[in-house]
Amino acid sequence: MSEPFAVELRDVVKQFGDVVAVNHVSLRIRDGEFFSLLGPSGCGKTTTLRMIAGFEIPTHGEIYIHGERQGYRPPNKRPVNTVFQNYALFPHMTVAENIAFGMEMRKIPKDEIKRRVDEALAMVRLSGMANRRPKQLSGGQQQRVALARALVNRPEVLLLDEPLGALDLKLRKAMQIELKALQEEVGITFIYVTHDQEEALTMSDRIAVMNDGIVHQVGDPETIYEHPADRFVADFIGETNFIPVRVVSLAPEIVVELGTGQKVQAGWAEEGLAPGDKAVLSIRPEKMDLLEPKKKPQSPSQEMAYVPGVVTHLVYVGTDTRHTVRLGDGSEVVVRLQNIYVGEEPWEIGEQAVITWNAAHARILKE
Amino acid sequence: MERLRRNPELQAWLLLAIPAAFLLIFFMAPLVIVFVYSFLERGKYGGVEWVFTLENIRRVFDPLYFKTFVRSFYIAIVTTLITLILGYPLAYYIANSPPSRRNALVFALMIPFWTNFLIRTYAWLTLLRTHTGLINVTLLNWGLIQKPLPLFGNDFAIILGLVYGWLPVMVLPIYAALERLDRSLLEAARDLYASSFYAFRRVTWPLSIPGVVAGSMLVFIPSLGAFVTPAILGGGKSLMIGNIISNQFLGAHDWPFGSALSMVMMIAMLIATLIYFRWTTSSEIAT
Repeated sequence: MSEPFAVELRDVVKQFGDVVAVNHVSLRIRDGEFFSLLGPSGCGKTTTLRMIAGFEIPTHGEIYIHGERQGYRPPNKRPVNTVFQNYALFPHMTVAENIAFGMEMRKIPKDEIKRRVDEALAMVRLSGMANRRPKQLSGGQQQRVALARALVNRPEVLLLDEPLGALDLKLRKAMQIELKALQEEVGITFIYVTHDQEEALTMSDRIAVMNDGIVHQVGDPETIYEHPADRFVADFIGETNFIPVRVVSLAPEIVVELGTGQKVQAGWAEEGLAPGDKAVLSIRPEKMDLLEPKKKPQSPSQEMAYVPGVVTHLVYVGTDTRHTVRLGDGSEVVVRLQNIYVGEEPWEIGEQAVITWNAAHARILKE
Repeated sequence: MERLRRNPELQAWLLLAIPAAFLLIFFMAPLVIVFVYSFLERGKYGGVEWVFTLENIRRVFDPLYFKTFVRSFYIAIVTTLITLILGYPLAYYIANSPPSRRNALVFALMIPFWTNFLIRTYAWLTLLRTHTGLINVTLLNWGLIQKPLPLFGNDFAIILGLVYGWLPVMVLPIYAALERLDRSLLEAARDLYASSFYAFRRVTWPLSIPGVVAGSMLVFIPSLGAFVTPAILGGGKSLMIGNIISNQFLGAHDWPFGSALSMVMMIAMLIATLIYFRWTTSSEIAT
């Protein structure tokens, strides 16, 4: 084995009674990486994190931290620290005492503790707050204390369980940037659990998308967004259209047939599909454009799709307008057009339109 | 009416008027009477003569009575400590049971209260009595002991009876404090390298102190003033201050002296309580 990973999960299963919370998960998290576990609530992401921390022991499989097998090791013997969802600050201790707790338990000399507490407070910009109680702090400040309390121990890996969940939107955005900057500064591996896809996309080096205890896809934010591996990922991350289709051929070109009988090409098809299978064509609303029928080119190129329909619904959302277009077979497609055109007639409900997209953006996924 | 609606302070006063009047008449007035009687001479057949005297107060500190005073404190303190030692793990166990079982356990804890305290204390009598008590008879019959154990008519019997009686009162407030405790705080402690012992010592224990203080008060105060338990299980030989007070009113017809004993006991209890509060709140901050 070459360079060990910061954290490696090998075929990890966690069962609670009859419920399988985590189902044969294998992950390799690199050193210094900002790695997110993303999924809806109950997908097993928090259980996965808790197994790395040592709060839960896997029913099956093994967890390695820097190549060391963790087995039944209790949380206090693991080289990781956790930032809890509700911060879990000790209410009967001051901010400084909270931050010093881990170092005290490790019997670090008093003067060094003091120095490192001061450093940690400065790092999270709470220097004046050392003697406050957690209750006297705002949510954002408590969040930063929780972060300092964990990071001050210089863990090999920092585990964060939806740490920004309780903050309001504006503060959350600010903390996202702050967290990412902090992670780059300290160079510690972060494993970040969230159900907020935007948060995961903004901060992560890589993301594992989970649902029902299974990891659906691991990849960097762009891959996850642009090249979702299956229908769940495409649906959970961002907005997407699923147009029902039937597979016509997979090689040399991927060709599918829409409900109207029209054939279009696609850039990629999920493994396991065969000609004749029912499937969905997945395409992001911002990857499409609308044309007036008369503007459709006479000899269109093969990789461009031109699909006629009727505009049925318009929603203005500021940066762009969402156009719902009904196709001949009754299926509806949402097209997002940026509001950048000057002097052009906006689309109206009931108007005939041709949706156009590049085949490279269309992905054929199992239903 | 209009004024009342616009004035929340007036509303609060009206709301408080009834309980305040009740307390004033039925709680404060008897206290004042006890206080005043402490300084009067006794009447021939109970009651008082309206003559001022400090004699009653002086008699309280007479070694004859004062020794009982000190012993009552000793018994109350030991009772409180034992109920705490037994009650804390019990409360901890209940608080950490699955929620469905918790209520059943709390319910079970309250069941003894359904039977009259006097009856329950007599039940202990049948168990503990020196020659005819169930425990000694059984042990003698089995040949495990040669002569009866001193289970009755001493401090042991009184403390046993008091611990039995007040244990649930200790458990409930501690349980309430532990049940409120956020489990993630313990996980945070474990995550920050604390062993389970240190997680308890540094997180669970300090956060349960309010429950411990409340429980201790609820046990200590009635234990100090107890008179049913020592009257029955003390076998007339081992007495507490509560017995002497009740005897002044019911037997000796010396109301002023009974009042003086009560007053001194109340003041002593107040001082003890204040010291205890001061001590526990400062140690809570220290940890």
